[in-house]
Amino acid sequence: MNRTWTIIALLVAALGTGCATKKGFEKPGFAFGCPIGDAKVSSMEDLVKLKVMSEGKRTTIEATEMRCTMAGDLQKIDVNLNNDSSHVKRVSYKFRWIDREGMRAWEEEVWKPLLMYENSNIAVSAVAPINKAVDFRLILLSQE
Amino acid sequence: MIDLRCPRRLVLLTLLAALTIAAGCAAEKTRYGDARGVGTVTNGFGSTDLQMIAESMTRSMLGAPVVAGGNLPIVTVQEVKNKTSEYIDTRAITDSIRAELQKSGRIRFAVDAAAMQQQIEELERQQSQYYDPNNSAEVGKMVGAAFRLEGNITSIVKQVKDIKDVYYKFNLQLWNVRNGLLEWSDEKEIRKTTTKG
Repeated sequence: MNRTWTIIALLVAALGTGCATKKGFEKPGFAFGCPIGDAKVSSMEDLVKLKVMSEGKRTTIEATEMRCTMAGDLQKIDVNLNNDSSHVKRVSYKFRWIDREGMRAWEEEVWKPLLMYENSNIAVSAVAPINKAVDFRLILLSQE
Repeated sequence: MIDLRCPRRLVLLTLLAALTIAAGCAAEKTRYGDARGVGTVTNGFGSTDLQMIAESMTRSMLGAPVVAGGNLPIVTVQEVKNKTSEYIDTRAITDSIRAELQKSGRIRFAVDAAAMQQQIEELERQQSQYYDPNNSAEVGKMVGAAFRLEGNITSIVKQVKDIKDVYYKFNLQLWNVRNGLLEWSDEKEIRKTTTKG
Protein backbone atom coordinates (compact mmCIF):
# COMPACT_ATOMS: atom_id res chain seq x y z
CA MET A 1 0.00 0.00 0.00
CA ASN A 2 2.80 2.32 1.00
CA ARG A 3 4.63 1.53 -2.20
CA THR A 4 1.54 2.43 -4.28
CA TRP A 5 1.36 5.82 -2.60
CA THR A 6 5.05 6.37 -3.19
CA ILE A 7 4.65 5.57 -6.90
CA ILE A 8 1.65 7.93 -7.18
CA ALA A 9 3.57 10.68 -5.38
CA LEU A 10 6.56 10.17 -7.69
CA LEU A 11 4.31 10.31 -10.78
CA VAL A 12 2.67 13.55 -9.59
CA ALA A 13 6.10 15.02 -8.86
CA ALA A 14 7.37 13.98 -12.32
CA LEU A 15 4.33 15.54 -14.00
CA GLY A 16 4.78 18.71 -11.99
CA THR A 17 8.43 18.92 -12.94
CA GLY A 18 7.50 18.33 -16.57
CA CYS A 19 5.09 21.26 -16.53
CA ALA A 20 7.58 23.45 -14.76
CA THR A 21 10.37 22.72 -17.20
CA LYS A 22 8.06 23.42 -20.15
CA LYS A 23 7.83 27.02 -18.97
CA GLY A 24 11.58 27.11 -19.11
CA PHE A 25 11.46 26.76 -22.92
CA GLU A 26 10.29 30.37 -23.15
CA LYS A 27 13.12 32.81 -23.75
CA PRO A 28 13.18 35.89 -21.53
CA GLY A 29 11.23 38.72 -23.20
CA PHE A 30 8.91 36.28 -24.96
CA ALA A 31 5.52 34.80 -24.13
CA PHE A 32 3.92 32.08 -26.23
CA GLY A 33 6.77 32.73 -28.67
CA CYS A 34 5.76 36.38 -29.09
CA PRO A 35 8.08 39.26 -28.20
CA ILE A 36 6.88 41.13 -25.10
CA GLY A 37 9.87 43.24 -24.10
CA ASP A 38 9.72 44.17 -20.42
CA ALA A 39 5.94 43.73 -20.14
CA LYS A 40 4.60 41.25 -17.60
CA VAL A 41 2.63 38.54 -19.36
CA SER A 42 1.43 35.66 -17.29
CA SER A 43 -1.51 34.48 -19.40
CA MET A 44 -2.86 34.42 -22.94
CA GLU A 45 -5.27 37.26 -21.99
CA ASP A 46 -2.30 39.44 -20.99
CA LEU A 47 -0.57 38.75 -24.29
CA VAL A 48 -3.70 39.53 -26.31
CA LYS A 49 -4.21 42.75 -24.35
CA LEU A 50 -0.63 43.75 -25.09
CA LYS A 51 -0.66 42.98 -28.79
CA VAL A 52 -4.19 43.70 -30.01
CA MET A 53 -5.42 47.24 -30.61
CA SER A 54 -8.62 48.68 -31.95
CA GLU A 55 -8.92 51.62 -34.32
CA GLY A 56 -12.00 53.50 -35.45
CA LYS A 57 -15.24 51.74 -34.62
CA ARG A 58 -14.75 49.13 -31.89
CA THR A 59 -15.55 45.61 -32.86
CA THR A 60 -16.94 42.82 -30.71
CA ILE A 61 -14.63 40.38 -32.47
CA GLU A 62 -11.95 39.30 -30.04
CA ALA A 63 -8.56 37.72 -30.36
CA THR A 64 -8.59 34.69 -28.08
CA GLU A 65 -5.27 33.10 -28.82
CA MET A 66 -1.96 34.19 -30.25
CA ARG A 67 1.21 32.30 -30.93
CA CYS A 68 4.44 33.33 -32.59
CA THR A 69 7.31 31.47 -34.12
CA MET A 70 10.16 32.15 -36.48
CA ALA A 71 10.00 31.24 -40.18
CA GLY A 72 13.69 31.44 -40.99
CA ASP A 73 14.59 34.87 -39.65
CA LEU A 74 11.08 36.27 -40.10
CA GLN A 75 8.51 36.55 -37.33
CA LYS A 76 5.41 34.42 -37.99
CA ILE A 77 2.18 35.01 -36.08
CA ASP A 78 -1.01 32.99 -35.74
CA VAL A 79 -3.99 34.69 -34.14
CA ASN A 80 -7.34 33.16 -33.41
CA LEU A 81 -10.26 35.58 -33.83
CA ASN A 82 -13.59 34.77 -32.27
CA ASN A 83 -17.10 35.97 -32.98
CA ASP A 84 -19.19 34.76 -30.07
CA SER A 85 -22.27 36.75 -31.04
CA SER A 86 -25.26 35.25 -32.83
CA HIS A 87 -24.81 37.57 -35.81
CA VAL A 88 -22.48 37.62 -38.80
CA LYS A 89 -19.79 40.24 -38.18
CA ARG A 90 -17.48 42.09 -40.52
CA VAL A 91 -14.12 43.26 -39.37
CA SER A 92 -10.89 44.45 -40.95
CA TYR A 93 -7.45 43.78 -39.60
CA LYS A 94 -3.84 44.64 -40.24
CA PHE A 95 -0.52 44.09 -38.58
CA ARG A 96 1.81 46.91 -37.62
CA TRP A 97 5.46 45.92 -37.67
CA ILE A 98 7.87 47.40 -35.17
CA ASP A 99 11.66 47.29 -35.11
CA ARG A 100 14.07 46.89 -32.20
CA GLU A 101 13.97 50.63 -31.45
CA GLY A 102 10.19 50.71 -31.31
CA MET A 103 9.94 52.48 -34.68
CA ARG A 104 7.81 51.33 -37.59
CA ALA A 105 9.72 48.63 -39.42
CA TRP A 106 7.45 48.61 -42.47
CA GLU A 107 4.88 50.82 -44.11
CA GLU A 108 1.26 50.59 -43.01
CA GLU A 109 -0.36 47.40 -44.25
CA VAL A 110 -3.63 47.29 -46.18
CA TRP A 111 -6.79 46.68 -44.13
CA LYS A 112 -7.88 43.14 -44.82
CA PRO A 113 -11.63 42.61 -44.64
CA LEU A 114 -12.93 39.50 -42.92
CA LEU A 115 -16.40 38.02 -42.70
CA MET A 116 -17.08 36.05 -39.55
CA TYR A 117 -20.09 33.82 -39.21
CA GLU A 118 -22.04 33.73 -35.97
CA ASN A 119 -20.29 31.79 -33.17
CA SER A 120 -17.22 31.14 -35.26
CA ASN A 121 -13.44 31.23 -35.09
CA ILE A 122 -10.97 32.25 -37.77
CA ALA A 123 -7.23 31.80 -37.63
CA VAL A 124 -5.35 34.73 -39.10
CA SER A 125 -1.69 34.30 -40.03
CA ALA A 126 0.99 36.80 -40.85
CA VAL A 127 4.66 36.76 -41.71
CA ALA A 128 6.85 39.80 -41.11
CA PRO A 129 7.87 41.50 -44.36
CA ILE A 130 11.44 41.99 -43.19
CA ASN A 131 13.69 40.57 -40.47
CA LYS A 132 14.02 44.06 -38.98
CA ALA A 133 10.38 43.67 -37.83
CA VAL A 134 10.89 42.03 -34.44
CA ASP A 135 7.64 43.12 -32.81
CA PHE A 136 4.06 43.73 -33.96
CA ARG A 137 0.57 44.89 -33.11
CA LEU A 138 -2.65 43.46 -34.50
CA ILE A 139 -5.17 46.21 -35.25
CA LEU A 140 -8.88 45.55 -35.60
CA LEU A 141 -11.47 47.83 -37.18
CA SER A 142 -15.20 47.19 -37.24
CA GLN A 143 -16.79 47.22 -40.69
CA GLU A 144 -20.37 47.16 -39.40
CA MET B 1 -39.51 82.80 -76.22
CA ILE B 2 -39.39 84.04 -72.60
CA ASP B 3 -40.55 87.57 -72.10
CA LEU B 4 -37.86 89.13 -69.88
CA ARG B 5 -39.75 92.40 -69.63
CA CYS B 6 -42.09 90.83 -67.10
CA PRO B 7 -40.38 91.49 -63.69
CA ARG B 8 -42.00 88.52 -61.92
CA ARG B 9 -40.72 86.10 -64.54
CA LEU B 10 -37.26 87.65 -64.41
CA VAL B 11 -37.06 87.21 -60.63
CA LEU B 12 -38.24 83.60 -60.93
CA LEU B 13 -35.63 82.83 -63.60
CA THR B 14 -32.85 84.44 -61.54
CA LEU B 15 -33.91 82.41 -58.49
CA LEU B 16 -33.95 79.19 -60.51
CA ALA B 17 -30.49 79.89 -61.94
CA ALA B 18 -29.10 80.66 -58.46
CA LEU B 19 -30.60 77.44 -57.08
CA THR B 20 -29.11 75.37 -59.92
CA ILE B 21 -25.66 76.87 -59.33
CA ALA B 22 -25.94 76.32 -55.56
CA ALA B 23 -27.06 72.72 -56.03
CA GLY B 24 -24.19 72.07 -58.42
CA CYS B 25 -21.65 73.46 -55.96
CA ALA B 26 -23.08 71.47 -53.05
CA ALA B 27 -22.92 68.16 -54.91
CA GLU B 28 -19.20 68.27 -55.54
CA LYS B 29 -16.93 67.63 -52.59
CA THR B 30 -13.37 66.36 -52.77
CA ARG B 31 -11.55 64.84 -49.85
CA TYR B 32 -8.40 62.82 -49.43
CA GLY B 33 -9.08 59.25 -48.37
CA ASP B 34 -7.14 56.37 -46.88
CA ALA B 35 -5.16 54.84 -49.76
CA ARG B 36 -4.95 51.58 -47.77
CA GLY B 37 -8.56 51.59 -46.58
CA VAL B 38 -11.20 49.08 -47.62
CA GLY B 39 -12.75 50.29 -50.89
CA THR B 40 -16.24 48.98 -51.58
CA VAL B 41 -17.71 51.47 -54.06
CA THR B 42 -18.40 48.75 -56.63
CA ASN B 43 -17.66 45.04 -56.67
CA GLY B 44 -15.24 45.34 -59.58
CA PHE B 45 -11.52 44.80 -59.06
CA GLY B 46 -10.36 47.62 -56.79
CA SER B 47 -7.39 49.04 -54.93
CA THR B 48 -8.01 46.90 -51.82
CA ASP B 49 -7.93 43.76 -53.98
CA LEU B 50 -4.70 44.82 -55.65
CA GLN B 51 -3.03 45.64 -52.33
CA MET B 52 -4.26 42.47 -50.62
CA ILE B 53 -3.03 40.29 -53.49
CA ALA B 54 0.37 42.00 -53.56
CA GLU B 55 0.79 41.71 -49.79
CA SER B 56 -0.37 38.12 -49.60
CA MET B 57 1.82 36.95 -52.51
CA THR B 58 4.89 38.79 -51.23
CA ARG B 59 4.67 37.40 -47.71
CA SER B 60 4.08 33.90 -49.02
CA MET B 61 7.01 34.11 -51.42
CA LEU B 62 9.34 35.33 -48.67
CA GLY B 63 8.74 32.03 -46.91
CA ALA B 64 9.60 29.95 -49.99
CA PRO B 65 12.85 27.96 -49.50
CA VAL B 66 14.36 29.38 -52.67
CA VAL B 67 13.94 32.93 -51.30
CA ALA B 68 14.32 32.29 -47.57
CA GLY B 69 17.67 30.59 -48.22
CA GLY B 70 19.24 34.04 -48.43
CA ASN B 71 20.92 33.45 -51.81
CA LEU B 72 19.39 36.63 -53.28
CA PRO B 73 17.83 34.87 -56.28
CA ILE B 74 17.57 36.87 -59.50
CA VAL B 75 14.03 36.97 -60.82
CA THR B 76 12.40 38.37 -63.93
CA VAL B 77 8.75 39.34 -63.95
CA GLN B 78 6.69 37.96 -66.78
CA GLU B 79 3.07 38.42 -67.67
CA VAL B 80 0.11 37.95 -65.35
CA LYS B 81 -2.69 36.92 -67.67
CA ASN B 82 -6.02 38.59 -67.13
CA LYS B 83 -8.64 35.87 -67.66
CA THR B 84 -11.46 37.88 -66.12
CA SER B 85 -14.22 39.61 -68.04
CA GLU B 86 -13.15 43.06 -66.84
CA TYR B 87 -10.16 45.24 -67.57
CA ILE B 88 -7.49 44.79 -64.90
CA ASP B 89 -4.05 46.36 -65.11
CA THR B 90 -2.14 43.24 -64.13
CA ARG B 91 1.13 45.15 -64.54
CA ALA B 92 0.09 47.26 -61.53
CA ILE B 93 -0.22 44.05 -59.47
CA THR B 94 3.19 42.71 -60.49
CA ASP B 95 4.75 46.15 -59.99
CA SER B 96 3.44 46.21 -56.40
CA ILE B 97 4.67 42.67 -55.76
CA ARG B 98 8.07 43.54 -57.19
CA ALA B 99 8.33 46.73 -55.12
CA GLU B 100 7.51 44.88 -51.87
CA LEU B 101 9.93 42.04 -52.63
CA GLN B 102 12.67 44.47 -53.58
CA LYS B 103 12.16 46.36 -50.30
CA SER B 104 12.46 43.13 -48.35
CA GLY B 105 16.01 42.85 -49.72
CA ARG B 106 15.70 39.13 -50.40
CA ILE B 107 15.28 39.11 -54.16
CA ARG B 108 17.01 40.91 -57.01
CA PHE B 109 15.20 41.63 -60.23
CA ALA B 110 16.63 41.38 -63.70
CA VAL B 111 15.28 43.57 -66.48
CA ASP B 112 12.06 42.07 -67.82
CA ALA B 113 10.87 41.68 -71.40
CA ALA B 114 8.76 44.84 -71.22
CA ALA B 115 11.75 47.00 -70.24
CA MET B 116 14.32 45.24 -72.45
CA GLN B 117 14.07 47.67 -75.35
CA GLN B 118 14.82 50.64 -73.08
CA GLN B 119 17.73 48.75 -71.52
CA ILE B 120 19.25 47.99 -74.94
CA GLU B 121 18.76 51.57 -76.12
CA GLU B 122 20.54 52.89 -73.01
CA LEU B 123 23.42 50.43 -73.45
CA GLU B 124 23.80 51.40 -77.11
CA ARG B 125 23.62 55.10 -76.23
CA GLN B 126 26.48 54.69 -73.79
CA GLN B 127 28.58 53.06 -76.53
CA SER B 128 28.35 56.22 -78.63
CA GLN B 129 31.21 58.69 -79.06
CA TYR B 130 29.62 61.12 -76.56
CA TYR B 131 30.43 58.97 -73.53
CA ASP B 132 33.70 58.32 -71.72
CA PRO B 133 34.40 54.66 -72.57
CA ASN B 134 36.02 54.11 -69.16
CA ASN B 135 32.79 54.94 -67.34
CA SER B 136 30.28 53.49 -69.80
CA ALA B 137 28.31 50.33 -69.20
CA GLU B 138 29.77 47.51 -71.22
CA VAL B 139 27.72 45.41 -73.58
CA GLY B 140 27.46 41.76 -72.65
CA LYS B 141 27.50 42.17 -68.88
CA MET B 142 23.79 41.89 -68.16
CA VAL B 143 22.81 39.15 -65.70
CA GLY B 144 20.14 36.66 -66.70
CA ALA B 145 17.41 35.71 -64.23
CA ALA B 146 17.50 32.32 -62.55
CA PHE B 147 13.74 32.42 -61.94
CA ARG B 148 10.73 33.84 -63.73
CA LEU B 149 7.55 35.02 -62.09
CA GLU B 150 4.26 34.57 -63.92
CA GLY B 151 0.62 34.11 -63.08
CA ASN B 152 -2.98 34.67 -63.94
CA ILE B 153 -6.13 36.15 -62.53
CA THR B 154 -9.51 34.60 -63.16
CA SER B 155 -12.99 35.52 -62.08
CA ILE B 156 -16.43 33.97 -61.81
CA VAL B 157 -19.32 36.40 -61.90
CA LYS B 158 -22.86 35.38 -60.96
CA GLN B 159 -25.68 37.83 -61.22
CA VAL B 160 -29.38 37.60 -60.55
CA LYS B 161 -31.87 40.44 -60.27
CA ASP B 162 -30.64 42.15 -57.12
CA ILE B 163 -27.46 40.24 -56.31
CA LYS B 164 -24.07 40.30 -58.00
CA ASP B 165 -21.42 37.91 -56.75
CA VAL B 166 -17.82 38.16 -57.96
CA TYR B 167 -15.10 35.65 -57.14
CA TYR B 168 -11.48 36.40 -58.06
CA LYS B 169 -8.61 33.97 -57.96
CA PHE B 170 -5.07 35.20 -58.37
CA ASN B 171 -2.36 32.61 -58.93
CA LEU B 172 1.36 33.36 -59.01
CA GLN B 173 4.18 30.97 -59.84
CA LEU B 174 7.96 31.11 -59.59
CA TRP B 175 9.63 28.93 -62.21
CA ASN B 176 13.25 27.85 -62.32
CA VAL B 177 14.54 28.99 -65.73
CA ARG B 178 17.38 26.44 -65.89
CA ASN B 179 15.47 23.24 -65.13
CA GLY B 180 11.85 24.29 -65.64
CA LEU B 181 10.80 23.31 -62.13
CA LEU B 182 8.08 25.12 -60.27
CA GLU B 183 9.82 26.44 -57.15
CA TRP B 184 6.89 28.22 -55.51
CA SER B 185 3.24 28.91 -56.19
CA ASP B 186 0.41 30.44 -54.23
CA GLU B 187 -3.14 31.68 -54.66
CA LYS B 188 -5.27 34.44 -53.23
CA GLU B 189 -9.03 34.26 -53.38
CA ILE B 190 -11.40 37.20 -53.00
CA ARG B 191 -15.20 37.11 -52.95
CA LYS B 192 -17.43 40.16 -53.11
CA THR B 193 -21.20 40.32 -53.14
CA THR B 194 -23.32 43.34 -53.91
CA THR B 195 -27.01 43.43 -53.07
CA LYS B 196 -29.40 46.13 -54.18
CA GLY B 197 -31.93 47.74 -51.91
